[in-house]
Amino acid sequence: MAMMLDESEASDGDLIGRARDGDRTAFGELVERHYGFVHRVAWRWCGNRSDAEDIAQEVCARLGRAIRDYRGGSAFTTWLYAMTLNAARDMQRKSARETAKTTAYGVHALVAGDSGPEAEDPAERMWAAVRQLPDKQRDAILLVYGEGLSHAAAADAMTIAETTVSWHIHEAKKRLKLLMRSAGEE
Amino acid sequence: MVDDNELDMLRNIPTPAPSADAKARALAAAMAAYDLEKNPASTQGTEKADRLTQRARKLWRDIMQKKLIAAPALAGLVALPIAGYATFYLMEGSPFNFGAEQEIAEAPSGRLKEAPVAELRKTDSGAAQTAPAKPLAAASQAAKAEAKAAADVEAKAAADVMNEAAPAMPAPEALTDAASEMSRMSAPTLTTQLQGVIAPSDMPMAPPENRDRVEDFKTNPVRSALEDPVSTFSIDVDTASYSFARRLLKEGVLPQADTVRVEEMINYFPYDWKGPEAITTPFNTTVSVMPTPWNEHTKLMHVAIKGYDVKPIEQPKANLVFLIDVSGSMDEPDKLPLLRSAFRLLVNKLNADDTVSIVAYAGNAGTVLEPTKASDREKILSAIDTLAPGGSTAGEAGIREAYRLAQKSFVKDGINRVMLATDGDFNVGQTDDDELKRLIEDKRKSGVFLSVFGFGRGNLNDQMMQTIAQNGNGTAAYIDTLAEAEKVLVQDASSTLFPIAKDVKIQVEFNPAAVAEYRLIGYETRALNREDFNNDRVDAGEIGSGHSVTAIYEITPKDSPSLAMDPLRYGQASTGNGGVANADEYAFVKIRYKAPDGDVSKLITTPVTKTNEVASFDGAGTDQRFSVAVAAFGQKLRDEDATAKFGFDRIAEIASAARGADPYGYRAEFLSLVRLASSLQGNKQ
Repeated sequence: MAMMLDESEASDGDLIGRARDGDRTAFGELVERHYGFVHRVAWRWCGNRSDAEDIAQEVCARLGRAIRDYRGGSAFTTWLYAMTLNAARDMQRKSARETAKTTAYGVHALVAGDSGPEAEDPAERMWAAVRQLPDKQRDAILLVYGEGLSHAAAADAMTIAETTVSWHIHEAKKRLKLLMRSAGEE
Repeated sequence: MVDDNELDMLRNIPTPAPSADAKARALAAAMAAYDLEKNPASTQGTEKADRLTQRARKLWRDIMQKKLIAAPALAGLVALPIAGYATFYLMEGSPFNFGAEQEIAEAPSGRLKEAPVAELRKTDSGAAQTAPAKPLAAASQAAKAEAKAAADVEAKAAADVMNEAAPAMPAPEALTDAASEMSRMSAPTLTTQLQGVIAPSDMPMAPPENRDRVEDFKTNPVRSALEDPVSTFSIDVDTASYSFARRLLKEGVLPQADTVRVEEMINYFPYDWKGPEAITTPFNTTVSVMPTPWNEHTKLMHVAIKGYDVKPIEQPKANLVFLIDVSGSMDEPDKLPLLRSAFRLLVNKLNADDTVSIVAYAGNAGTVLEPTKASDREKILSAIDTLAPGGSTAGEAGIREAYRLAQKSFVKDGINRVMLATDGDFNVGQTDDDELKRLIEDKRKSGVFLSVFGFGRGNLNDQMMQTIAQNGNGTAAYIDTLAEAEKVLVQDASSTLFPIAKDVKIQVEFNPAAVAEYRLIGYETRALNREDFNNDRVDAGEIGSGHSVTAIYEITPKDSPSLAMDPLRYGQASTGNGGVANADEYAFVKIRYKAPDGDVSKLITTPVTKTNEVASFDGAGTDQRFSVAVAAFGQKLRDEDATAKFGFDRIAEIASAARGADPYGYRAEFLSLVRLASSLQGNKQ
């Protein structure tokens, strides 16, 4: 137990270094430590528990494959953001293609699709609107406002220029206004 | 603009804690992926593959730097090598690793990885049951696209790249096009590489080739009651055609005319016809005549048969053999996993005394479960759960083995039934329909009944299913969803399992004095010769407990202005017996059937007179009107002449007025299919 406590003190950098060298325990701990983070971002992105879990699992699997290629060029969390957002987008595209198929599984869908609480809370409503934004704007808003990153850090995670992030945010705000208004009228 | 204060609340939303289960699964996935990476196989050489767009851009840059296209003439000269190079370059490392885990077993160099992944999938299998659209399973479908000859694909890919490269920037669409071609040709090989690349999943996959096999048949023609007064056919209680059409419609495709068998659509729905009082007369016939909604000058003769509903206490012991196809083609979410859930539903329905055995067949056939009492439910369920797909399909051996087991635990005076679940893809052993038919006919004599359940699409061998079911004292149903499985195996379990009569044939003789022409709607694949009716050696359909069967004729009365055929100039003379007997009758309906274990047929007859007639269509019973709506819909899907001017909106009108109680919502679903078909047809025109 004491040893485990000691290890949990180890910094991400340490763990990553050891994981890259093939230390299985270190990698396990790294994933364990960041699973909550990944799940949170995924959940915010898609707003649905089962999808969020799928995305998080996909990210974990990708992490297992890619950890040895991580060169530490950017902060680990930035890398995780990028990976999670990519996985979420992939998942969404895939599910769009699969929609026709899933309707055939009406019974299953009822069981699987608990889509969280109804949007009563204003923040929840705002998130619902954010989820209707185009991908890039949605990413930008999620990173900057949801996660509290600076425009520069968000730009890093999205691998685009900082000014582009600002522009996406600007566009998103205009769009959100419309979305919120039309949601209010319903 | 939304201001920052409002947006700041985005940060404060509580995120539900991830479930421990999901987390454990994700961690296991991570560790499995990590372990895989630890011992990368030799083929796994693409450490850093670019995304496709980047690769194309880089290619363009390379070309420009090399000044290869300095002059148009030179460009013309080198176009060909560039095309070749482009193809080679793009194919060097494809970023597709969809379903890599699934396919890996086939690639020898990937063997090392097999174990951990299998482990991972085991933990996941529970979840896959509830959410079949999971990425793993869905991906396997994509990766299954067949390998094709390289030559023409290469040429096409190259051409695509060249076409799009000519303007300033290569557009990604062209590349995905080429890439999807590539994925088709290299799917089996590429699975050995590229575990490390994050796959962009936005590439459109080439749609898989449709290899459903259906028997084509012609719609019954209009016949003259004078020349051809007798119509004979076998009863058909299959429902496969309706669920298959439903699946296609829900996927946004109009079904091919040959997959639509109108009688199977009509018989899909439960109707509340009047049944017989006792099992001594196994069924009751209700005939009604009503005006045709799609043609004011003709009438419909509606023949409804209801089987005796065996009370649960009278239900005989059942001896069921599940014959389950576990070949590689069954490895899709709507096949084996759905099948497992379906049979689990059925096992829960059985009485403690009933026995169940399971035969699985793939490359070869094997007994998975020796005859076991249904009271030992755990054992049966766990045997069902162990079924795993893989290999080719030795259907014939499977059928032989299943019949052997059925004989082994044969229950006298009980139900002995083989239940075959397959996508119909028989490719080892006896694969010819005629040979199979002979095998089944031979086995039929042993007193064992057969049910066929079709699964999946793209490879469905509808024709083979029909052959087997029609010749094996059996029924065929198509299961596309768990809801359908529930209908076939639980709601209709007693009719699916307990036959009350077999070799049921119908013969209708029309009275030329009252009916000029007639046309049987549906039953094309069930037509019999006139002399077959009295021949007890000729096989026909079976009726289960509580089954209802409906046949509809469109008849043209004697003096109707809408005769399809001109009257014969010398025709009248030929009857010449100066007045026909029973001249006020429309027709005479005869039904022959055998008891489930009998060899000699019995006859039931019903004359159809004016007393069976209702003056207006709305005066007919609810169920009659609904079945007519279904008949119209089926004909409409087959694009038949009779209903050409009859709109889907009219069908929907009739059906919604005749919905009745509809406790299971089947009729409501039918209505939504009519609307779907209507809009799809609109798109087509």
